[in-house]
Amino acid sequence: MVTTVKNNDLSQAKKSKIAVVDFSATWCGPCRMTAPIMEELSEELKGQVDFFNCDVDENNSLAAEFGISSIPAIAVLKNGVLSDMTVGFRPKAALKDFILGGK
Amino acid sequence: MENYEIAIIGTGPAGISAAITAKVRNKKLLLAGSANLSEKLSKAHRIDNYPGLPGVSGADLAANLKKQLDELGIKITDKHAGGIYTFGDHFSIQLDNDFVDAQAVIIAGGIMQGKLLKGENEFLGRGVSYCATCDGRLYQGKKVAVLGYSSEAPEEAEYLSEIVNEVLYFPVKSGVPAERGNIQVLTEIPTAIQGDMKVNTLVTDKSEHKVDCVFVLRDAVPPESLVPGIETDGPHIKVNLQMETNIPGLYACGDIAGKPYQYIKAAGQGNVAALSAVRYLASRGNDTENDQKER
Repeated sequence: MVTTVKNNDLSQAKKSKIAVVDFSATWCGPCRMTAPIMEELSEELKGQVDFFNCDVDENNSLAAEFGISSIPAIAVLKNGVLSDMTVGFRPKAALKDFILGGK
Repeated sequence: MENYEIAIIGTGPAGISAAITAKVRNKKLLLAGSANLSEKLSKAHRIDNYPGLPGVSGADLAANLKKQLDELGIKITDKHAGGIYTFGDHFSIQLDNDFVDAQAVIIAGGIMQGKLLKGENEFLGRGVSYCATCDGRLYQGKKVAVLGYSSEAPEEAEYLSEIVNEVLYFPVKSGVPAERGNIQVLTEIPTAIQGDMKVNTLVTDKSEHKVDCVFVLRDAVPPESLVPGIETDGPHIKVNLQMETNIPGLYACGDIAGKPYQYIKAAGQGNVAALSAVRYLASRGNDTENDQKER
């Protein structure tokens, strides 16, 4: 399951040991392509990694805080601290490696 | 979502040749690209090494290719492929603002002319964008530069002007956008993109401009931006003699697959790529045709 971030509130993700935050928007093609992959990965990595989706239009100040200049941007947070970020669509296997690589 | 067996990107000799072969092999195909065919083709003054067509002009060859497409009932989808996304069992292709699915994809979109700007690759995704419709909304209220290397660039600049605060437009190889209060046309030559964490400056031959984003709008984009995960060799997509790339079901042919940049080589490679795609579909068991026929 992917949790939707609302009202610029990332506190739940910051509590996770490992959280993945997918910064995206409804009007962004590659984001729409990335969303189902995130959904699948959230099932495969259940219990290890928590997944969040952050719409940059709804969560303006979070997007600014993370310096998002192109989407999708996928951030990995470890114990609430940004550990790595990748920009643009990536195939599922590559994305999984990216997420676990930062472990 | 529309679902094709083979999607072919590009309407030069490679893409058209691939489409002809795919059609002859009765595949449900998509041919996406300029409906006027590749500019590189129609602008060729004279082609001397195309067997059977001595001294043919590019315009005549283009007219004949169009006729052949018409006779075979192959329609060109006049849209620009912005991204090809690999899902393992299929591909999704962004065509302007639509998406289509395909089981196999043949990339024949030609090669990017000229060199990347200094800093362009370094800042890609950090204030350098190839797609106004994809990233424009991130720059609401900001100042952006648009570098027009393609004929569609003016239109994209007009679109951006509705979102951002200010557009600096550089008509490097394009016309100019319609007059709008917040579009400034500058006939300077961009040379470099600079910044720290993110882009903050566009450098030209005459001056420096403080901007939040540089939209670089070309006819062809670097292959790794078009297809995330593709293996490249310099500006080319890496292929073998069957035109296979590192991604199963994805093929490349024509200039994007390497030198020499010749029409006849492109056409030949298009044929090989289409046959490889046909074989790939057959190996996945969705083809009842005799697989030996193409040899």
